[in-house]
Amino acid sequence: MDWLNLLVYPAVRVLVLFFVLLTGFAYLTWYERKLLARFQVRYGPNRAGRFGLLQPLADAIKALFKEEIVPDHVDRPVYLLAPALAIVPALIIWAVIPVAKDFPAVADVPIGILWILAVAGIEGYGVILAGWSSNNNYSLLGALRSSAQMISYELPLGIFLVSILVLAGTFSLVELVEMSRPWWEWLWLWLVFPLFFICILAETNRSPFDLPETENELVAGFQTEYGGMKFALFFMAEYINMITTSAIMATLFFGGWKGPFADQYVWLGPVYLFIKVVALLFLFIWVRASVSRPRWDQLMRFSWQFLLPVSLMHLMGSAVFTVFLK
Amino acid sequence: MSEPTAVAEGTEQLPFNDAVPGAVLGTWAEETDKAYLVAPDKLIPLLTHLRDELGYDYLSNLTCVDYLTYQGKKRKGVQERFEVVYHLYSTRKGGGHIALHVRVPENETVPSAVGVYPGANLQEREVYDLYGIRFEGHPNLRRILLWEGFHGHPMRKDWKEAYYEQDTKPFKSRHPRGGYQFHEDKLPWGKNTTYPPGWDPDTWQEPVAYVPVSMAPHPVVQDPEEEERRPHVHTESIVINLGPHHPSTHGVFRMLTRVEGETILALEPEMGYLHRNHEKIGERNTWLMNMPFTDRLDYLNSMSNNWAYALAVEKLAGIQVPERAEYIRVIMAELTRILNHMWSIGFLLNDLGALQTPALYAIEEREMILDLFEEVSGSRMMCNYFRFGGVVRDLTPGWLERARYLAQERLPRALDELDRLISENEIVKARCRGVGYLSAEDLIALSVSGPMIRAAGVAYDIRKAEPYGIYDRFEFDIPTLPNSDVYDRYYIRLLEAREAVRILQQALRDIPGGEVHGPPAYASATLEEGFGTILGGKGGYTLRPPEGEIYSRIEAPKGELGFYLVSDGKPNPYRYHVRAPSYINLNALGPMCVGYKVADAIVVLGAIDIVLGEVDR
Repeated sequence: MDWLNLLVYPAVRVLVLFFVLLTGFAYLTWYERKLLARFQVRYGPNRAGRFGLLQPLADAIKALFKEEIVPDHVDRPVYLLAPALAIVPALIIWAVIPVAKDFPAVADVPIGILWILAVAGIEGYGVILAGWSSNNNYSLLGALRSSAQMISYELPLGIFLVSILVLAGTFSLVELVEMSRPWWEWLWLWLVFPLFFICILAETNRSPFDLPETENELVAGFQTEYGGMKFALFFMAEYINMITTSAIMATLFFGGWKGPFADQYVWLGPVYLFIKVVALLFLFIWVRASVSRPRWDQLMRFSWQFLLPVSLMHLMGSAVFTVFLK
Repeated sequence: MSEPTAVAEGTEQLPFNDAVPGAVLGTWAEETDKAYLVAPDKLIPLLTHLRDELGYDYLSNLTCVDYLTYQGKKRKGVQERFEVVYHLYSTRKGGGHIALHVRVPENETVPSAVGVYPGANLQEREVYDLYGIRFEGHPNLRRILLWEGFHGHPMRKDWKEAYYEQDTKPFKSRHPRGGYQFHEDKLPWGKNTTYPPGWDPDTWQEPVAYVPVSMAPHPVVQDPEEEERRPHVHTESIVINLGPHHPSTHGVFRMLTRVEGETILALEPEMGYLHRNHEKIGERNTWLMNMPFTDRLDYLNSMSNNWAYALAVEKLAGIQVPERAEYIRVIMAELTRILNHMWSIGFLLNDLGALQTPALYAIEEREMILDLFEEVSGSRMMCNYFRFGGVVRDLTPGWLERARYLAQERLPRALDELDRLISENEIVKARCRGVGYLSAEDLIALSVSGPMIRAAGVAYDIRKAEPYGIYDRFEFDIPTLPNSDVYDRYYIRLLEAREAVRILQQALRDIPGGEVHGPPAYASATLEEGFGTILGGKGGYTLRPPEGEIYSRIEAPKGELGFYLVSDGKPNPYRYHVRAPSYINLNALGPMCVGYKVADAIVVLGAIDIVLGEVDR
């Protein structure tokens, strides 16, 4: 049945994916608060449910029942569009990520990596438009920082991706995971993983690169004028972005769903992917708990004067390896 | 000598008359030799002379007294109502102060000292705000603690506090017919009971918030060639308010900032949101009642506030403090210093964007110190532990052992841990090195005190320069650092906390037994009527220090905390002025931030280490 393959299965997959991601987001906030508390010699949420496990539910109810306020001085259509623009790319990036053997989340697109780059490019607009339409000086400064930061970190990020792509020789993430790589290729990849991770931190606006929102400089940066569910959408976008980028990093650098026996038992694939994603999320939170924030200009200098040349060199290296060793 | 007419005859023996003839009219009182009456028109030349020739480079305190209802023995026949008081010190020579009194009639002006001592800026504005004395030549003379529409000058003795003083109660009851709404809340002028002349409730409009000149809208001035080359680019700087409700102004504090992009062109501190006129309330209280009230100034360091006030009153009333109490005071003050410095380091890191983790690590030991405070005083932060002539009660059994454990084990280890975690961190260094620089000379001219000037290489610490208590018995150094940037301001606090631990260890080793406060009748010889107990409480008489004035200061953790007190021999202070280090250190905020980024302004403010309870008073 053609229409079944074309419509119903993808629709079911999409629904399941959204459910998993939104639940994942809710429990990521719990995970982060618990971990941060542990890093800071405290307990963290422990009142709602056992170990505070119902805390995300309470937060969700609170956000839903908040009054929807649209300030008078904002550019209304853009102001309302911005949160949606922030969250949609975070969700749809998942379409191409393989979760088990021969099983991409939604579709095996032959241009998976391009899809990631293209959708990640849209992500910036949510933040920029939010800051612009809010008609507020803090938001404007946040948006300015955000646009500069996202553009300058997307460059090395893209070049690292190209470098991986040159080595793999394919655009498809499904193929990328399933192909076998020699040991030197893994080493060569892991060499730049810290730098790639830094780019990802900047791309997702996570601390220490949370300059667009910088709680203690710009109050809340681009989202100063947002409240209730609209604020929650930005919040969701940030956290789902964390999950998404963790999944991408797991796929590109750590073999995605691969693990012992994952070839025989397909259901082990998502389990391995989950474990890898949680480990990478731990890294995000660990960094947040321990590092202070560089200044905006220092951030830019780091990107243009260090990350960009290094990424280009890595690309050159990859090309040389591919030509002579593969 | 006490009367100005009598003074004028003896002009030739008066000091400074060779350099600035006719400046000094006499001494303020027979028994003082360091307080002079100065002719208003000769004030500026005299200040310049004192600064340049005699090394009095530091204007510590500038305040005013309204002698409307007190014509004491020192002012027989004096017509002028106000006296503006200046206290000058020398950071190079150390030692005591020289006080200048300028007598001003109502509605007359005094020349502004801002040209000689830029640090007079905020203090003159405060005097103008609270007393209505105009300073001629002040660049920005406007209200600072009170709002622009406030009517009258509340520290004047004829200004009655609405709803509290009987003859100014406009309503019989504040709660009309038992309602929950207060009468005064319905009036547009709030708690003012006297309205400006010509005020008409029907046409009244909210006063427009004042915009300083440097904040008024203007395009960025570019050089003409740049303009020529890119005529289509029109840039404009914007004003952003950092505060009053801002996560990192450490309270309700506002920085009006003009920025071009992210670079700061001008910055003006705005304060007074927490103002409760501490000094006015202090004048209504008895001397002892002010002791718990000083806790609320710098609420992190109530012990040192207590000490500064107790010290001033003890000097005024001539009260001696027993040996054990002196040691307890040193222990408490140094514990407070460690506590404050750890707090400020932790929250400086918070301002740098390291969310809470360093702050929570830094204040772990603070909790243990607060436990000790709670045990002796009954309260963790509002300690109210000191009394005139001692401390309120002895240490509890086992307290010293716990304090020794802290001083010998925990605190050195905690400080080392902070040092290890923070000092070599790349991002901290990148953010703090070279940020917020101001030269040592500028800082002293701006009346900045405390760790800030020691981070600029000036080894000036009141504990050494003009020792009080028993600090001359301990062995400790004044750490200094050369760079005068935010990093050094962070690091100096760590070094100072280490020195405080050293003092603490010595004091805990040497503390003798004995009484912790003088005998109840001890000070009665110096008082008019005598009193039952200097500790206050039941059945005693209230302390009445002899007539006179005193300016006394201590090295509080945030800088120089001074109290200027005038007694008219009555049960409550005639004048009660607090020289708050946080407030006066803010003089330097604007000059420090110009040219840096918005993110730096936050860090510079964090490194000044202010507490709004003390800034606004």
